[in-house]
Amino acid sequence: MENNQQQGAQAQSGPYPGGAGGSAGAGAGAGAAPFQHLLQQQQQQLQMFWSYQRQEIEHVNDFKNHQLPLARIKKIMKADEDVRMISAEAPILFAKACELFILELTIRSWLHADENKRRTLQKNDIAAAITRTDIFDFLVDIVPRDEIKDDAALVGATASGVPYYYPPIGQPAGMMIGRPAVDPATGVYVQPPSQAWQSVWQSAAEDTPYGTGAQGNLDGQSMEF
Amino acid sequence: MEDESHNNTLPNGFNTGSPESPFLKTSTTTTQHNKEQDRFLPIANVGRIMKKVIPPNGKISKDAKETVQECVSEFISFVTGEASDKCQREKRKTINGDDVIWAITTLGFEDYVEPLKTYLQKYKEIEGEKLSIPKQMRSEQRLQQHHNNYHDQNNQPFNGAYASSNLISQPPYVPTDQKFSLTFSPNSIQSQLRQQDQIDSVGHWYE
Repeated sequence: MENNQQQGAQAQSGPYPGGAGGSAGAGAGAGAAPFQHLLQQQQQQLQMFWSYQRQEIEHVNDFKNHQLPLARIKKIMKADEDVRMISAEAPILFAKACELFILELTIRSWLHADENKRRTLQKNDIAAAITRTDIFDFLVDIVPRDEIKDDAALVGATASGVPYYYPPIGQPAGMMIGRPAVDPATGVYVQPPSQAWQSVWQSAAEDTPYGTGAQGNLDGQSMEF
Repeated sequence: MEDESHNNTLPNGFNTGSPESPFLKTSTTTTQHNKEQDRFLPIANVGRIMKKVIPPNGKISKDAKETVQECVSEFISFVTGEASDKCQREKRKTINGDDVIWAITTLGFEDYVEPLKTYLQKYKEIEGEKLSIPKQMRSEQRLQQHHNNYHDQNNQPFNGAYASSNLISQPPYVPTDQKFSLTFSPNSIQSQLRQQDQIDSVGHWYE
């Protein structure tokens, strides 16, 4: 019964753009319930992130305090010889797009560090996020080969062909397969760092005035954890 | 839990022994080559944004920030290239906001489209207000807007001619500082205004 419920939840996240994630979930559904649970939580966190972003942008009223310098964005755009003229709105729009990009990439990377029980985000966490996410395919060349090497070794080890766990550096890869984020001692699925992350969002949501409906929605999502 | 980690990480968050790679630039190299630095967005800005979604007790290594710096530049080039191709096919010379959104949609970043359309729509609304004011008053308007956090919810009638996305009805908005807004020094504010002036002189508003 619980298994069916989880699979139902997976079906609900079908429209979610993370194709690789969906595929991994389907492949692992048969024998890796703990991983499926982990995947659901990760997707929920990303969905909360996007919901939060939509609300934030609804209330933006200042286009001067960009998080990123417009002149630098324009210079990067102009590096392409084919680019001739750029309207004023394009770099401003890119400033917001790049912020969303950095945030999404960082969240996905942090989820990997979290799985490996580390408190410091590292380059290989970003490499993992890139290999796991379809829309980040164009970044594969940015990441050094030795960072992807571990992932390639694991692909063959997984029945579905999709890597679902990246061992921390220095540990034998084989030992960790099949036991994602589960405490060996108690066998209980523990994710305290993720809860800390949730408290960040909860705090942010509470500090910002939203309509009653939106606030209720956020609270509803939070209560699931 | 900490004992299980075998990564050699210093207390300040730096990961010692990270493998050297042709793709990574050390801070020394970055500071010594100004042109190279221009290829990336400032690492301080990137780091600040990354911290927004990291738990308070989490840290970000230097090489992680540098990797994201490179990824963002690649993202800008990737999207710009797609938008530029579209402009050339349509015999247009200026890349505008709608071209950027189209490119982002085409490249699969579906989650980004709705927030960016809303953002662009709001920007056009505010720009529309400014256009109805004589040009000599614009800089004053910008300063006032910044200091007062001013927001006019009335839509200008002619905005309909420019807005490509549907207007979205919103609940009444109570002005408040954004949770993550930055504080700029007066010099920085002036610099921002000058940047805007510089950009306005090039292909502004569907020129």
